[in-house]
Amino acid sequence: MRTRLSILSWPKPKGGPHHAVCHFCDTLHVAEPIPEGSRVNCVCCGATLFQNRPASLVRVTSFSVTALLLMGVVHTAPFISMDAGGMRTVLTLPGAAKALIDDGTPIVGFGVALFTIITPLVLAGGLAYVCGPLMFGRSAPGAMFVTRWMSRTEPWNMIEVFLLGVLVSLLKLGHLAELHFGIGFWAFTALMFCMAAAVAAIDKRELWDRLEVAGGT
Amino acid sequence: MKGNPESVPRAGNQGLAGCHICEKVAPVSVVYCPRCGSHLHLRKPDSIARTLALVCAAAIMYVPANMLPIMSIRELGVTTESTIVEGLVEFWQARSFPIAIVIFTASILIPLLKICALLWLCAASRGLVPHSAKVLGRVYWITELLGRWSMVDIFVVAILVTMVQLGNYMVVTPGPGALAFAGVVILTMFAATSFDPKLLWDQLEREAADADTETNTASE
Repeated sequence: MRTRLSILSWPKPKGGPHHAVCHFCDTLHVAEPIPEGSRVNCVCCGATLFQNRPASLVRVTSFSVTALLLMGVVHTAPFISMDAGGMRTVLTLPGAAKALIDDGTPIVGFGVALFTIITPLVLAGGLAYVCGPLMFGRSAPGAMFVTRWMSRTEPWNMIEVFLLGVLVSLLKLGHLAELHFGIGFWAFTALMFCMAAAVAAIDKRELWDRLEVAGGT
Repeated sequence: MKGNPESVPRAGNQGLAGCHICEKVAPVSVVYCPRCGSHLHLRKPDSIARTLALVCAAAIMYVPANMLPIMSIRELGVTTESTIVEGLVEFWQARSFPIAIVIFTASILIPLLKICALLWLCAASRGLVPHSAKVLGRVYWITELLGRWSMVDIFVVAILVTMVQLGNYMVVTPGPGALAFAGVVILTMFAATSFDPKLLWDQLEREAADADTETNTASE
């Protein structure tokens, strides 16, 4: 019985009426429950007020767990290797950050590590930690704290930007040397899609309402 | 009714604030959000001052970011330094037009447009330029969305520095421009988050109130 909580409709916290404020124009609305898959726009400026994404918890959990597994592959398997001048160099994500730190721009190096390794890890790990137990109506210890930090780190997740950087670099290097794509590269591409799908599945209002109903701290 | 700031209730006027983190609506007098514990604000604190300071810093950094080399390539003992624009020209001359356009958009156009857009938004929310809050709201949203993509050049440098370590044959090292450019991207991202689009609507409301008093005094 408990397993079916995840597909139960969006629970509303006690009390009410519930309100919603538009992020853009500060218009106050009364937030009525809306059917799955629909969205509500602000009456004043037309921006999206909130939406009810179908099966958001299940999708967020599955995509973020997949992303975590893929991260394991990305950081251990060879990413791209290059043969030139009788030498072979291998690209890894931590390697790229380390090369910048060693070569005199440590601040940029730490930035690269932060945006491509730490932030995605915090985001995917946090989402799995919060949404997994929430599917069964439970709130993990410190779930609200984790969710608060996740919403702060979200804009700094730059997995997809890094992949664009890889493509641009390949075009720069392609005529110079022979390139080999490792398992890491394909895992990284899949990771990008998983992270994007996980973030796109988050239903912020529903997540917070569920956390409140589950009595999270 | 649509688009008229007079006809719809605004949360701020009733002392209600939507939490920035969890979106719960609560009276601002309780200071901390009753649900998630974040600090509640009617408007983001010192929004315009902070945004302006960060945008100015970014605009200053934009100069060295484009003048200084972002990487230097030592090939067979000869060192060539390359700025963002030189890298772009190289792609253009190699007839890789799509990639040249991508780099131009991500590293030159987006930071520049972001700086201009944020300055415009600050001026508009002070009433210095006439504006449509609806359109500028969209401008703000796009500004926030696109900012991250400028980091692509930094990642290209990181990847080239890692991979092109071929001893005497060819070595790539990062240049000082990379730090300045990363600074521009990060500063404009912080500037975008510290701007509060609600200020645009506050300004509209003030203008409408001023117009009202003017017509009232005129009719008396």
